[in-house]
Amino acid sequence: MARQAKRKLNHELIPWRLYVVVGFVLLLFCSLIARAAYIQIIEPDKLRHESDMRTLRTTSNQVQRGLITDRNGDMLAVSVPVRAVWADPKHAFDQDAFKDMRRWQALADVLQEPVDKLVRKVKGNPKKRFVYLKRQVTPAVADYIEQLKIGGIYLKSESRRYYPTGEIAAQLIGITNIDDVGIEGIENTYNTWLTGTPSKQKVRKSRDGSVVERLDMVQEGESSNDLVLSIDQRIQQLAYRELKRATEMYQATSGSVVVIDVNTGEVLAMANTPSYNPNSRDNLQTHRMRNRALTDTFEPGSTVKPFVVAAALEAGTVKSNELIQTSPGWMRIGGRQVRDSNNYGDMSLAKILVKSSNVGISKLALSMPVQQLLGTYQSMGLGNYSGINLTGESAGLIHDRNRWSDFERATLSFGYGFTATPLQIARMYATLGSGGMLYPVSILKLRQAPKGEQVISPQVAHDVMEMLVGVTETGGTARKAHIDGYPVAGKTGTSRKAVAGGYGDDYVGLFAGVAPVHNPRLAISVVINEPKGDKYYGGDVAGPAFAKIMSGALQMLNVEPISEREAIHLATAQGAQHDVIK
Amino acid sequence: MSQSPLSLPRIVLLDLWHHKWIVLLGLIVVANGIVVVYTSHVTRQLTSQWDQLLQEQDRLDIEWRNLLLEEQSQSEHSRVTRMATKELNMARPLPKEEVIIRVQ
Repeated sequence: MARQAKRKLNHELIPWRLYVVVGFVLLLFCSLIARAAYIQIIEPDKLRHESDMRTLRTTSNQVQRGLITDRNGDMLAVSVPVRAVWADPKHAFDQDAFKDMRRWQALADVLQEPVDKLVRKVKGNPKKRFVYLKRQVTPAVADYIEQLKIGGIYLKSESRRYYPTGEIAAQLIGITNIDDVGIEGIENTYNTWLTGTPSKQKVRKSRDGSVVERLDMVQEGESSNDLVLSIDQRIQQLAYRELKRATEMYQATSGSVVVIDVNTGEVLAMANTPSYNPNSRDNLQTHRMRNRALTDTFEPGSTVKPFVVAAALEAGTVKSNELIQTSPGWMRIGGRQVRDSNNYGDMSLAKILVKSSNVGISKLALSMPVQQLLGTYQSMGLGNYSGINLTGESAGLIHDRNRWSDFERATLSFGYGFTATPLQIARMYATLGSGGMLYPVSILKLRQAPKGEQVISPQVAHDVMEMLVGVTETGGTARKAHIDGYPVAGKTGTSRKAVAGGYGDDYVGLFAGVAPVHNPRLAISVVINEPKGDKYYGGDVAGPAFAKIMSGALQMLNVEPISEREAIHLATAQGAQHDVIK
Repeated sequence: MSQSPLSLPRIVLLDLWHHKWIVLLGLIVVANGIVVVYTSHVTRQLTSQWDQLLQEQDRLDIEWRNLLLEEQSQSEHSRVTRMATKELNMARPLPKEEVIIRVQ
């Protein structure tokens, strides 16, 4: 039976049916292959494009502005990422975002702004595509806003600059504007160094949003750089605190202090009053933001007298043990009078500086050519930029002319007729302390001391420093600047402020000096501008602050104080010198 | 029907053996295809992991910056000085009160 059926089947095979079926199958395969070939080989771009549209994204990483630290790594400026809230009013309208006002109310609450003002910002500009609602919100607030899911409200990364030290170094560090661009101080000068550029890269993202393929760089970014300043924050805060106290106590308009490392020319502290809080941009006043220590100039008064002595010693017009006759305590030069507070009679060079005798110093100035004196001033950095390279630095004014009257030459010797900044004064004393080596001033931490320039001989520098010790001893003009343990070579200065057509009633009180005398480490200048109280002498208003800052700073730097025995030794050496002269 | 000396599986095996190189090449092609697919899968996984680690790095960097800020404002020198003098009644010794101990 089975065999029969098989035979029957064999016999009943109809060939054309088979061919039709096979033909159809072949056609099917051919068309599939043709379609595949079309998609793969002839026209692949369209689908590739479609795929790329759905998966390719450009990501950019945010680069934070570089950190600014002091020489020991304490932070002076730190950038922290925050978010900006912005709205696309067109999207908001498209997505009908104003239907649920509870969300807007929540948004307004968290941004601490009235809700109608917020809504008006978005509703009022239906054509606009970008409106800032709030800049610099914290990540926590940003997360909350993200969860509110209001149509057309978006977040954008940005960064905010924080200054942990606040007002202490505010003028020096400066600030950035809301777009993270430095506009003042170091932030401004080193803006390009501190700023990085974000890199942009094409990536392929999977459906769940994770990156599965990194493609080519669209834009090569540049990472930001950190900045290490020469500032020592411990000394900086001490300097600011003492300066602020002095400014308030003597009701001064402003004050500045500069601390320089004698051996390298690095600035260890630079503070000004009145200061401001750089973390709050609400009420900035430009007069508080100025770094007065290097922008404001004034006539330096008696603080330059030691350099007149140095110039005279260099010129050889006077010997270090010579006596100058100052009797009767005043002298007439070209119809004008120069006077001392007392008749001191015959004075040694040291005594001229200790008593700050105008007559004595004028005689020294007149004993040498005026170019010698001006040359010494200029070689110590007056009338020139200090090398600190900060925005707004003033070079001061020192005339370079051929004809000088005798009276003008005399006034040059006690610090009138030219101007200087507090930084320049500190630098002059640093030069004295380093044995006559003038270093360029640096605000950045140095790896090694820069190449200095020998501007006065080490012997002269040494002699002048010895003479200056008496200023802070009993009988000197600045007993209040005396420090037990660290002998100071310093000088007071009190200059009247020039106003239109002469000199006004306001004063500038200064004290500048180096310490310790036997092994100088620091040079400090303290300037108290326009003290309003009864006291206005440099020794009274600036001296105490100088002593506090100097002793504190030397302690912080672990400088060994001089022992009682050594102090006596130094004193007798001084006395012996006096005896020889007398 | 006469019994053939060779069974069908035997013929198939013999035939395969006869074309062994082609078969081997075919197998290698298939294996290669699978390895390519597998490798690209692993690459994607690693890239995704890398991306997550980068995000983690960013997150940690933000946290570090905030902690740094907190540390710096808490340990600010004038604050420490104030607390030391006001709360702990400490005072900075004057230079002449300092005692130097020399370690030989």
